[in-house]
Amino acid sequence: MDRRKVLRFLGISPAVLAGFPASAEKTRARVASSDGNAGDLITVMNPAIAGKLADRVPLVPPLDTLNGKFIYMVNLSWEGPDAANYFYEAMTEWLQQHYTGLTTKVKVTAEGMFGADPGLLKDITASGAAAAIVGVAG
Amino acid sequence: MSRWAKQIQMQCKIPAIGIASSNIVHYATGYVAKYQNGMPIRYVSVPFPFTGQPRAVDVGYVTGKGMLSGRPLMTAVVAALTDPLTADEKISGTPPEESIEPRLLPPDTEDNLRVMFDEKEWTDFNTIILPTEKRVTEMLKGTSHKPDEVIKTINITGGARPLTVEKVAVSAVMAGASPEHFPVILALATQAPFGNSTSSLANMVIISGPIRDKLKFNCGTNAMGPYNRSNAVVGRAFTIMSKTAGDLRNNVNAWETLGNTAQYNNMCYGENEAALPEGWQPLHVQMGFKPTENVITVGTGWSAIASVGASQSIYPTHYLMRDYISSFCASGSAATVVIDPTVAGLLKDTHGFQTKEQLSEWFSQNIQKTAGSYWGNGVIQSTAVPLALQGLEPYASWRKLPDDALIKPFTNPRAIHVIVAGGGVQTMWFVTDYGIRRGVSIDEWM
Repeated sequence: MDRRKVLRFLGISPAVLAGFPASAEKTRARVASSDGNAGDLITVMNPAIAGKLADRVPLVPPLDTLNGKFIYMVNLSWEGPDAANYFYEAMTEWLQQHYTGLTTKVKVTAEGMFGADPGLLKDITASGAAAAIVGVAG
Repeated sequence: MSRWAKQIQMQCKIPAIGIASSNIVHYATGYVAKYQNGMPIRYVSVPFPFTGQPRAVDVGYVTGKGMLSGRPLMTAVVAALTDPLTADEKISGTPPEESIEPRLLPPDTEDNLRVMFDEKEWTDFNTIILPTEKRVTEMLKGTSHKPDEVIKTINITGGARPLTVEKVAVSAVMAGASPEHFPVILALATQAPFGNSTSSLANMVIISGPIRDKLKFNCGTNAMGPYNRSNAVVGRAFTIMSKTAGDLRNNVNAWETLGNTAQYNNMCYGENEAALPEGWQPLHVQMGFKPTENVITVGTGWSAIASVGASQSIYPTHYLMRDYISSFCASGSAATVVIDPTVAGLLKDTHGFQTKEQLSEWFSQNIQKTAGSYWGNGVIQSTAVPLALQGLEPYASWRKLPDDALIKPFTNPRAIHVIVAGGGVQTMWFVTDYGIRRGVSIDEWM
């Protein structure tokens, strides 16, 4: 009796075992069961569902320097529009201390983190911003 | 957050980086980048929390170290804005398919399979029934629907996973269900996955119609306790299908910081329709279904408060319910009250509520809380503040009130549901902040 017939006799799909050579080795040495007797090999169905990977999109090239640049800070209003005000202030102070001519603007999104804000994107473009920092969430 | 950064990069053509706590960064750069966003957004990880912190704390965050890189936080910010792109960051196009999940798993011993199922986080870590093909085939006999029929595509954390009738049958077997439960579980699958948030979201599953008696769902004594097989296996199936179809894994894409024990069974119970006072309609009839139809309804929320003791004549029951509900955040104006038939009788006969709707209306008109307490909730801050900023009422006016001003935040009586369950042993009730979704026909899945 050839291997495929043996496997079929044991209730195992040869196609399945073809993808799992290590398991196939074990199966040849032991008797398979379809109803789960302890100690026997059994075959069960896979509850997992393969996920579809997202199409890759490259990043926009980064800046060469922050000197003289306008940085747009987007406040996503996580836990409220005022929750991270001090953080944005402190970040702006630090950047302006370290980079000549750097300016910033902080804007709260119209519908929080989970909504939409088409006006925001138009404003960023119109502002001439060189880069954006989006935050913060926890 | 990755969605925003991606939109800015694609539409404004400028670099955009994210700043978030380490758990969000892990999620965003791992699962989200792989299954949702496709763009490997650069992130800097910052300490947390921000809400309610004095200025010195936030300044300390900025002058301190990043949580993941260990570098000074602002050095990491500058690097994220200026470091040259890596080869991986330049990739575009459709990636090769991830390895296909085989329909059958490699043969192994029962013990090894149990270990693997737990390691994959396909279970609730209680013992499951292993889904042999024979058992799944038997389960599929509980419906006329074909095994390859796609019920819905699960995409809540990305991946666009097609949930088929056969996959639900696998979960139903694992949960210990029988084929007669399968139409109920298939109807429930239309509502999968269960709540997943950084907060302690959970669900409530309510069975309505004659199928409660046919399958012996518990609607009476201990309706919400571990004393009934149908309640147990249907509620558990929701958890297992949510985890498997949603690919939910702890600290990968499941981030509830405390979690919620209600997620083991999802508060599955039947309404005690036979014990409803005259004039009080069953939940599914309130939704427009016929009394003879079988319906499953899912609610989503966080909290439940029990009455603890028996109803007292010196303080009407609905007053105490009102007081307890006022502690909820009122997100979406949602509340669900689960009451024993004895309480329903009191509310009708002693206090004059001729219908559930009258009681819901009374709650809407009489539950008050301070503006400070309302706005002090993080979910309200994230959801209602944006509405206030757009000038939408009543949120815009409420936001101008002093903290101690009283408001009536449960503005929509239709979002306040009353469900009767229990065995008439005690005048007990639960109030919850669960929002009830539209019911789903079980009959269509037979």
